Amino acid sequence: MRILVVEDEPDLLASLAQALREEGYAVDTANNGNDGLFNAEGTDYDAIVLDVMLPGLDGWEILKRLRKTKKTPVLMLTARDQTRDRVKGLDTGADDYVVKPFDLAEVFARLRAIIRRSANKTTNIIEIGEVKIDSAARHVFFKDKIVEITAREYALVEFLALHRGEVVTRTQLYEHLFDENDSSLSNLLDVHVSNIRKKLGAEFIATRRGHGYCIE
Amino acid sequence: MIPKSIKWRLQLWYGLILVVVLAGFGFTAYQLERNRQFHRIDEELHHRTGVLANALHRPPPRRPDAEEPPPFDRPPPGQFPEAGPPDQNQRPPTEFHLPPEDTHFFDASDPNAFYFVIRSRENQEIASSTNQAPGQFLAIENFFINKINRQSQSPETSRQPPPAAYSFGNFRNCIASLPSGEIIWVGCSIAPELAELRRTAMKLAGVGGVILFLGLAGGGWLVARAIKPINEISATAVRISAGDLSQRINVAEAESELGQLAAVLNATFARLETAFAQQKQFAADAAHELRTPVSVILTQTQTALNRERDAAGYKQTVEACQRAAQRMRKLIESLLALARFDAGQEVLNRRRFDLAKTISDCAELVQPLADERGVKIFAELTPLEITGDSERLAQVVTNLLTNAIQYNRPAGEVRVKLAAPSGMAVLTVADSGPGIAAADLPRVFGRFFRADPARTGAGNAGLGLAISKAIIEAHGGTIEVASGENTGTTFTVHLPA
Repeated sequence: MRILVVEDEPDLLASLAQALREEGYAVDTANNGNDGLFNAEGTDYDAIVLDVMLPGLDGWEILKRLRKTKKTPVLMLTARDQTRDRVKGLDTGADDYVVKPFDLAEVFARLRAIIRRSANKTTNIIEIGEVKIDSAARHVFFKDKIVEITAREYALVEFLALHRGEVVTRTQLYEHLFDENDSSLSNLLDVHVSNIRKKLGAEFIATRRGHGYCIE
Repeated sequence: MIPKSIKWRLQLWYGLILVVVLAGFGFTAYQLERNRQFHRIDEELHHRTGVLANALHRPPPRRPDAEEPPPFDRPPPGQFPEAGPPDQNQRPPTEFHLPPEDTHFFDASDPNAFYFVIRSRENQEIASSTNQAPGQFLAIENFFINKINRQSQSPETSRQPPPAAYSFGNFRNCIASLPSGEIIWVGCSIAPELAELRRTAMKLAGVGGVILFLGLAGGGWLVARAIKPINEISATAVRISAGDLSQRINVAEAESELGQLAAVLNATFARLETAFAQQKQFAADAAHELRTPVSVILTQTQTALNRERDAAGYKQTVEACQRAAQRMRKLIESLLALARFDAGQEVLNRRRFDLAKTISDCAELVQPLADERGVKIFAELTPLEITGDSERLAQVVTNLLTNAIQYNRPAGEVRVKLAAPSGMAVLTVADSGPGIAAADLPRVFGRFFRADPARTGAGNAGLGLAISKAIIEAHGGTIEVASGENTGTTFTVHLPA
């Protein structure tokens, strides 16, 4: 899962990015409105965390322009908890909002919720055969037993599970699992897939040669 | 008990005045009518007295050269003169012949006919009408005769006023004493006139009652009409005190006294509403400014506590928290300073000091920031001693210089000038930046104003100029701003020396 955080307060941006990375997300950051819009339009993020008050374009303007091209779920961070501000955000196309000061746990929960909703899922549990994925706890069960899995491997499993039945290209996977700071090697993906097959069964992820990967 | 309501009090006073006026008017009208009636009766009585007197023998003519009566015999003016002196000589028996043409004056067939009695000076009845006065008046007759006999006689017949008339019950009587000593008593029943007067009184009372009723009803309507705007005003005030500050009184008649009152109240309500809105906005802005540093502390600490960190990681978190706390401290100090200036509680540490020296110190202080931005500071300072709080004024100068550097174009310039024309210290700080939009100029000294609303970094809460203005005004000075698109912004401070 790859997330863009647009926030102009450097300490807040740094800690948000760090916390999200530790949650297993690939995180890109922008500290002003113009960079934020550029990133949001150029990459298929799974979600965007967007502050309202930004130098350059403000959050609402970014949202308005972004909605012309993309449906990326957006979580607004607003310092004003007046109803009209929240209404304005939601009406402009935000999927949810969090009022500053916020708890990280709430931000994470709301992020999971908007990502889940954008994939048309209503619960945190995805069951595929004998594999069960709990996206809230970030656990994977195989035959009802918890499986030890790395954050990156979990992200790969979750992404493929959310796009079940679709062929996900290697480019897509790179885009969603690695942020701009990762110097990803092309064979790193194959290593992760191979590790997952060892833990969850060889048939769990199918390879479509020349196209990508798929969970049936 | 006087009612509390103005409406009823007005009504009460109005009713009382109306009753007094109507009673006075009715009484006067009644008296006039009564006097008119009695005057008519009295004239008839006098006429008949004259007829009767003529029917008696003519009294002996008086000589104009008669000896003057002693002065004490003169009656008081206006008094009916009396019969001749009691020591006059014996006269022959008096004869009385009522001429036939005059008998109709005493027609006995009329129940209200006139009656008369004529007595000689020896109190002997000479003649009387067939219809005598009712018996009970005989006693009264003597009273009148005695009264007349006691009075002194006037010798000047030409100045005789008509004989007096007296009312007794339903009868009006006129008793005249002739110069020759005879006494003529003429009377009549005035029962019809009295009944007529009673009817007049009833009519007057009835008309008065109707007028009183109409007056009270009209007065009540007028009072209700006059009170209505007051009721509207109080209803509006009630709604406002209930919390709806947007309510206004509907001013229908702006010219009337109540219209003017309503206009004044509306202006007051508008000022209240503005002040409340400003206060609310101020609190919201202050809360807003505190949200971001609190968010930093929360996310930093929550991230740090999510798992074990190395020393460097914890240090990073603590440093970020410290920055956030410093930012909050700065904001709180600014808010407190503003609150103290607002309440007039800020104590200025006044002393004589050289303002030019303070300004050059401040310029030195901000030089690193200017260097960082490539901005040059040009100072043109005339040494000038003024009385004031040097630290607070240094805060103002630093704030103006920092703004001039921060909102300048790259490699721009800042010009600081201190002069003292006409005894005032005039400080100007001009930058070569992009200027402030004309629409924003009036809000520059407002609280939480930022030229760029998103420029939240660097602990700039948009309170600097508001505090500067408060400091300058506490010194009895003024601060103004002038700005033009691309010609830069100039702040001018006037301070009493």
